[in-house]
Amino acid sequence: MFIICCMGWIAMDKLSHKLSQTQKAVIFASSGIVVFLFVFCTALIVGRYSISFENFFRMIGDPASYPMERSIVVNLRLPRTIIAALTGIALSLSGLLYQETFQNKLVSPDLLGVSSGSGVGAALAILLGLSSALISLFAFLFGIITVILTTVISKVFRNRTSMILILAGIIVGGCMSAILSFIKYLADAETTLASITFWLMGSFENSVMSDVWFLLPIVGTCTILTLIFSWRINIVALGREEAQTRGINYSVYRAAIIAVATLLTASSVAFAGTISWIGLVVPHIVRLLVGRNTRKTIPLCVIFGANFMVIADIISRCFTAAEIPLSAVTGFFGTIIFVAILFVRRKTISERD
Amino acid sequence: MNAIEVSGLSFGYNKKQLVLKNLEMRCEAGSINVILGLNGSGKTTLIKILAGLLKASTGEVVLNGKKLEDLSIGARSKIMSYVAQRSELIDDFTVKDYLLFGKVNHIAFYRSPREEDVKNVETYAEKFNVTRFLDKKLGELSGGERQIVSICASVIQNTEIIILDEPTSALDIKNQHSILSLLREISKHENKTILLSSHNPNHALYLDCNVFLMKDGSIIENGPAREMIAVEKLKPIYGDDVCLSSEQEYSEISFKD
Repeated sequence: MFIICCMGWIAMDKLSHKLSQTQKAVIFASSGIVVFLFVFCTALIVGRYSISFENFFRMIGDPASYPMERSIVVNLRLPRTIIAALTGIALSLSGLLYQETFQNKLVSPDLLGVSSGSGVGAALAILLGLSSALISLFAFLFGIITVILTTVISKVFRNRTSMILILAGIIVGGCMSAILSFIKYLADAETTLASITFWLMGSFENSVMSDVWFLLPIVGTCTILTLIFSWRINIVALGREEAQTRGINYSVYRAAIIAVATLLTASSVAFAGTISWIGLVVPHIVRLLVGRNTRKTIPLCVIFGANFMVIADIISRCFTAAEIPLSAVTGFFGTIIFVAILFVRRKTISERD
Repeated sequence: MNAIEVSGLSFGYNKKQLVLKNLEMRCEAGSINVILGLNGSGKTTLIKILAGLLKASTGEVVLNGKKLEDLSIGARSKIMSYVAQRSELIDDFTVKDYLLFGKVNHIAFYRSPREEDVKNVETYAEKFNVTRFLDKKLGELSGGERQIVSICASVIQNTEIIILDEPTSALDIKNQHSILSLLREISKHENKTILLSSHNPNHALYLDCNVFLMKDGSIIENGPAREMIAVEKLKPIYGDDVCLSSEQEYSEISFKD
């Protein structure tokens, strides 16, 4: 089904060559929202305990008579689907923000070491045998501390270019990976090491409604903020010189964008583990479809990111007895979609895309 | 009134070596000014300091009667716009999107450009004869077309002073000519103060403007082009081989063999 959606998007893209970029963006956005509603309902219906369409709608009308269905949908599938959607939004949006700010399309949300820092936090919490809420909190805080560390280190060099920030990110990220290896070495091979490894591969298996109440305000606020500033983020992408002569305080904007992107990544990694690819693939797809203008790419990133992640979650839990790790799903399908879109667009892609 | 006033300006990228030494210059409002000098004479550094992108070590820059250091980035962008040498970072944007960026300091921070802003940009595009590129990406344009679009964006920014860093470098003769005549038009019809750097004395002759001769980080001579572009004045900069050929109706600076 999800391949069909992609084919639909691609077909529409071919048909719409005559439309302007803005009209295209509106079409993609509205069809994306429709597809999302469909995907969201599907995510609530399908799963290991299958609920028929009929029973699902009867259950909505009269929850009391279907206690089993109700409990599965409300307690298990609803929170994990909402979290999947929020995580998808958070990761693809932060990927786009990082890529625009650092003027490099190959940058992922992990650029400044957020994910590796969160990994260390989570691994430490698992090693100490803390509860799952505390694991999330540790991951969140460590992710943010890591980025703060990165910016502090870049300040030490007294050089304001983005390159220094990226290098500092690589240094701190490398250091965090080393610490993670050390924690894994200390962990018990039978129990804790296994849970650390599974956590790092990413999953929505343990999602509960209270996670939603933590994630929703953070992702919601950050998304609304980026939507408000969506046009101005373009000017930051022009680089320090050009942005300042146009009247944008580059340093302030860059710091704010990094803060928002870091919050988004850290909060999503805290609840879903490290999920690869999505922060790289979704912004790319969106840019290929509507061109490079954050006023269009940011809303589309939000819609496509949510779709992509919910679909990946459905795939991860429906096809095998045990859940497939999310990173495996996103990596595999991300590659396929990417290749498909590149194939369709092969003639119009230039050196810079 | 002077639009640009520079006094006692010094700058060095490190403490041992000064790139600009105790530099003085004044540009009248509504005039065209050319800074002439060889590569490495400090033209780009001076332009970047005037554009607020580098901070002077000592000395003072005054734009339209306001000290540069006292102006916020926003306030500065309403007085002065700057056209940089070729930047790769703008390649992906369409010409229309890029021209709209020139309006950013006229649009409230929470707002995106409205229909009237787009209309306004389209009017300017027509004036500058770039309407046919509006939906093309900047990376797809030729060097000359690209430079015209950059200049158009800085005119859209609607500032009294426009500073350009070697706008004609990397262009062929025909495009050099069209950029220079465009600048002359802008200064005449839009009443802007224009300051550009160049390494070609003939550009100054063509623009018939105020000339600053720059050597080793100082302005050594200053005056109207007709007086400045003379063999004796140019010798300290270009060496003894420089000569003036005036066989045709116009004169041109070139070199003896």
